Amino acid sequence: MRLTDWQLAFEAHLLNDAPAQDHGFAATLRGGPSLDVDTGLAIYHNAYRARLLDVLRHDFSAVRYWLGDDEFAALAGAYVRRYPSEHYSLRWLGERFATFILEHLAQEHGAPLAELARLEWAFTLAFDAPHGEPLTLADMAELPPQAWPGLQVAWVPSVQQLGCHFNSLAIWRAAKDNGDFPGSHAVEPAQTCLVWRHEQVCRYRTLEPAEASALTTMVTTGGCFAELCAQLAVTYAEGAPLQAVTWLKQWVQDGLLQYRAA
Amino acid sequence: MATSLPFLGYGLGLRNEYYEQILEQSPAVDWFEVISENYLVQGGKALYYLDAIAERYPLVMHGVSLSIGGPHALDFDYLKQIKQLAERIQPAWVSDHLCWSRGNAHQLHDLLPLPYTEESLYYVAGRVRQVQDVLQRPLVLENVSSYVRAKADEFCEWEFLNALAHLSGCQLLLDVNNVYVSARNHGFDPWTFICNLPPQSIRQLHLAGHRDYGDYVVDTHDHPVCDPVWALYQQTLAHIGPVSTLLERDDHFPPFQELLDELTKARQLGASALAGRALCA
Repeated sequence: MRLTDWQLAFEAHLLNDAPAQDHGFAATLRGGPSLDVDTGLAIYHNAYRARLLDVLRHDFSAVRYWLGDDEFAALAGAYVRRYPSEHYSLRWLGERFATFILEHLAQEHGAPLAELARLEWAFTLAFDAPHGEPLTLADMAELPPQAWPGLQVAWVPSVQQLGCHFNSLAIWRAAKDNGDFPGSHAVEPAQTCLVWRHEQVCRYRTLEPAEASALTTMVTTGGCFAELCAQLAVTYAEGAPLQAVTWLKQWVQDGLLQYRAA
Repeated sequence: MATSLPFLGYGLGLRNEYYEQILEQSPAVDWFEVISENYLVQGGKALYYLDAIAERYPLVMHGVSLSIGGPHALDFDYLKQIKQLAERIQPAWVSDHLCWSRGNAHQLHDLLPLPYTEESLYYVAGRVRQVQDVLQRPLVLENVSSYVRAKADEFCEWEFLNALAHLSGCQLLLDVNNVYVSARNHGFDPWTFICNLPPQSIRQLHLAGHRDYGDYVVDTHDHPVCDPVWALYQQTLAHIGPVSTLLERDDHFPPFQELLDELTKARQLGASALAGRALCA
């Protein structure tokens, strides 16, 4: 058997659901004095699955907390059968897990579980995103008065923004605290949640609708500070600049923003 | 000869469980080996600590995803990232494994054995030369533990390693524990393996623990080094002279001091073996 054919047979053995009873491939192998071929093949077969399951258990610990070990293992097994790893780094193994949950489970259970998986993946993305150049309060203090109206900002690269239609954050928090499962339910209206990394620590917080709208104006659509003040004037009248500065200070302290590239 | 290669001393595998203690305690570790793939990212805690530790200790890069013997084309994007990381942290050398870890279509994330045939030899040697051309440095390859062998083998593993080093110019990372594990599983003499390797090609040694299931042994890196592996290690050093030694632990992480104590044991046993060698010379 040529090298490539032998390797493809080995790969097929690993990807099979059960340790292979493919005696065609086993017949190309030899065991040792007390390690027979079937046991040797089973070691590789089990190691492949165990390694992938370990990664998913780590990256989606809140989903596992919700489902329990057995149901999570079954879901993870179905996932890696549907989407075998394609990246050399296991760090990317869970990239399609939330999408798979929606494909694999009925909508009623799948939608909240997929949202929780998306939340956990957001932390993974934030964890090793580029640092960017976060603005500091010192940067703001040095900004000349004439530059304030035209000030434009962007997210630092680690920021992940999620719309949460379920109490995913409460479930995530309970999982981290090893607390009782709080139950899953819809939240109305949907919450906007930010996940990002600041000073090497991943952080998260939810936004009230007014603050979310302000961030949309200032960051998502690239509006300048003067436009934000104009938008806030509808609600806050002459207090609009004060409200805008208050939020901007909070966002800068949180490490969410950097200057928008020209 | 091995003594002409840089001797870094006694090192530990860098694992995130110990980042803060390394920076706070500046432990007496001569060097650290980093898993290359853990740092092929764009930012975050791992890179932050890597840069800080690189300022204080010599580093070596150890990859797990090159898949030098795989049936797929070499991943030049991956190699480019490895080269960029090497430029960033200036490792003493760059290593990976003599194995394949990617199949035709999917990543298999394991260090799978190759048949030791002439076909494999020339295939791998050609790919090693390509990798060395990209990295602009010799590639260091580690022998892996294995649980099956191919009936088609035309060489012993040590004969294959010899021939590969000769054909490609690669250097060897001799994992003493892996030799012991494979020797138990396949029924060969571990010392025959080691004493038949070209000493001048051995750039580094690995020490690690395994799980012994009686009928077979599994390379798990989750236990301290066992006595037979320590004995084999001393025999190896007495035979080839000082070689940079690395203690690996990848699971069931003990308190950092326990690893430092085990490294001290490696240092003491290594010094003893080398002193005995000097007396015989």
